Amino acid sequence: MKKLAYYKGCLASLSAKELDISTRALAPKVGYELIELESVTCCGAGDIHEAEPDYYLHLNARILSYAEATGCDTLMTVCNVCTLNLRQANHQLKIDDDLRDRINDNLEQVGVPRYNGTVEVKHFLWLIAGESFDTLQTVAHKGLKGLKIAPFYGCQILRPSKLMGFEDPDKPSSLERIIEACGGEAIDYPAKIKCCGFPIIQAREDTALAELIQPIEQAMEAGADAMVTPCPLCHLSLDAWQSKLKKQTGKDFAMPILHLSQLVGVAAGLTDSELKFKRHVVSVDPVIEKLSV
Amino acid sequence: MQVGLKIWRYDSKTGDRALREYEVDAPEEATLLDCLDLVKDKHDGSLAYRKSCRMMICGSCGMRMDGGAVLACRVRMYDVVQEGRVPVISAMGNLPIVKDLVVDMDPFWQKMRAVDPYLQPRYDQAQERENVVAQAKMDVIHKESLCINCGCCVSECNSMESDPDFLGPAALAKGMRFVGDPRDGATVERLEKYSEPHGLWDCTRCYFCNERCPKGVDPRDAIAKLGAEAMKNGIDRDMGAKHAKWFVTSAKTTGWLRETELVPKTQGIVSSIKEMKFAMGLALKGKVPPPFPPHVAAEVHESRALFDLVKTQGRDGAAGIVQGEKALGRIESHHEASEGRTPYDEADSAPRPFLPSEREESEGVTS
Repeated sequence: MKKLAYYKGCLASLSAKELDISTRALAPKVGYELIELESVTCCGAGDIHEAEPDYYLHLNARILSYAEATGCDTLMTVCNVCTLNLRQANHQLKIDDDLRDRINDNLEQVGVPRYNGTVEVKHFLWLIAGESFDTLQTVAHKGLKGLKIAPFYGCQILRPSKLMGFEDPDKPSSLERIIEACGGEAIDYPAKIKCCGFPIIQAREDTALAELIQPIEQAMEAGADAMVTPCPLCHLSLDAWQSKLKKQTGKDFAMPILHLSQLVGVAAGLTDSELKFKRHVVSVDPVIEKLSV
Repeated sequence: MQVGLKIWRYDSKTGDRALREYEVDAPEEATLLDCLDLVKDKHDGSLAYRKSCRMMICGSCGMRMDGGAVLACRVRMYDVVQEGRVPVISAMGNLPIVKDLVVDMDPFWQKMRAVDPYLQPRYDQAQERENVVAQAKMDVIHKESLCINCGCCVSECNSMESDPDFLGPAALAKGMRFVGDPRDGATVERLEKYSEPHGLWDCTRCYFCNERCPKGVDPRDAIAKLGAEAMKNGIDRDMGAKHAKWFVTSAKTTGWLRETELVPKTQGIVSSIKEMKFAMGLALKGKVPPPFPPHVAAEVHESRALFDLVKTQGRDGAAGIVQGEKALGRIESHHEASEGRTPYDEADSAPRPFLPSEREESEGVTS
């Protein structure tokens, strides 16, 4: 069992608790012991990077420092936005000695250990599509019984690719490989690498909804039974804002949206109390019914 | 080598549209642009595309290859041929197509014009001596100054696709080029203007612009710099700005995002009340975490103290982003392996030129 520092981020702590619960239940099955970081904060979600960029860098350095203090070489994330924010800060701190020194001096002044740059930030998706893919294949024994799943990557796990680098940002395949390994059928559609609109869904709802409808509509037309995403922000907009799309366009998509850990969790035989589908706005029942036949 | 291309042909006058396949015999060093020249010379003289410098300076040959915007003169075809691919070439997105691979750049230039892309020094009389600016101050806009107006960033901009009035990555990066210029005197007016609807707070952070830009401008980062400068100057009335500010407040008070208060803090109380029905639907599923008792991170006093500390260190605004660019630039130019070396380190190299920053240091130029 490999030990990983685990940063769950804001949404998995609050409105998307089902992501945290299913991740914790699944991790040991694919070979990971998660060590949760206690005294960490929000990564800033791109908002602090924009409003107070110097503070953003310090907040993320603090998270990385506490991850390093666990003795783990990997900090695991379950959110695209956390992944970009932490990887960007980590890259800057690892490469630029002067910058790291200045920020470490500040961390030390408020009682945080200095960060030595020994941690790698990796999304759970990259771990199970990469180093533990073989384990995943044996764990997913219950299978998805040919269920048609539309993978939705979202943005900040693919771009900017110079900071991500796990796969081709225009032709990613990690989610597809996982879906197939779990016995599902991966549906292909153009908008799977586009934006769900979440960052501006409160400030510019019309623009965001025009973005959001594309992947849902395309997945629907391609015959998907459900969509899966590695990001809780994408999950929230795809799941919760479908009702607004219905109000605006009259189309009732009723498209179930699964977190990555739930999709693999179903195939790995996690229980209802570990999957927490009841916390979704769009019912997942049609998927469960198809699987129980 | 034999290069296969599938090209989307289009005529806006007739509306005819067809995907045509071509094969040309090209030298191994050929670029996509070279291959298009061969198609035009040897197969079909009616193929329309723009080109000029052939060396990534003029920004004329922006087009899509397999759905992603590229400069045709930058793409070497050798690897594509080795992979056995026959790429699909089409016109850039988010701009009207005139013919084949030629787009109408008028909407692009209109947005460029809208950000007043020229220096506004705002002095009444010419200064007595030349206004020499320290290199460090120009470094703030180094990346934005690299833009060649090719439109590749605009092509896949997700916000612009949904809102054609969005100023977009190229124009906003140009705006930052002047906001960050120490010689410009219109900073506040610019930031007010760029903060209006369809401006900087309309960016959906899809990062397609950074991915596509062939010159390393990183327009999304330029937009973040504009946001940071707007905040620094107290221009924060837009809902996008309020949204961003609430994350800062959350981080320094409870550590974690105060999710439930985010809506009223962004949209105001009146709009939030209109959202009550929607919010109730979410609350039933546990998607509206109660704000009390707040979800407080352990040792949150550290993140509060960090905020107070960094605010005394003068890296507000764009400077907070610029300080990380040195490290980010290293990925692009793959400098890690040859760190610290310059072309002048070799024994038989030419003498090292005199750099402006050194002149400034030696002469004490500070402006």
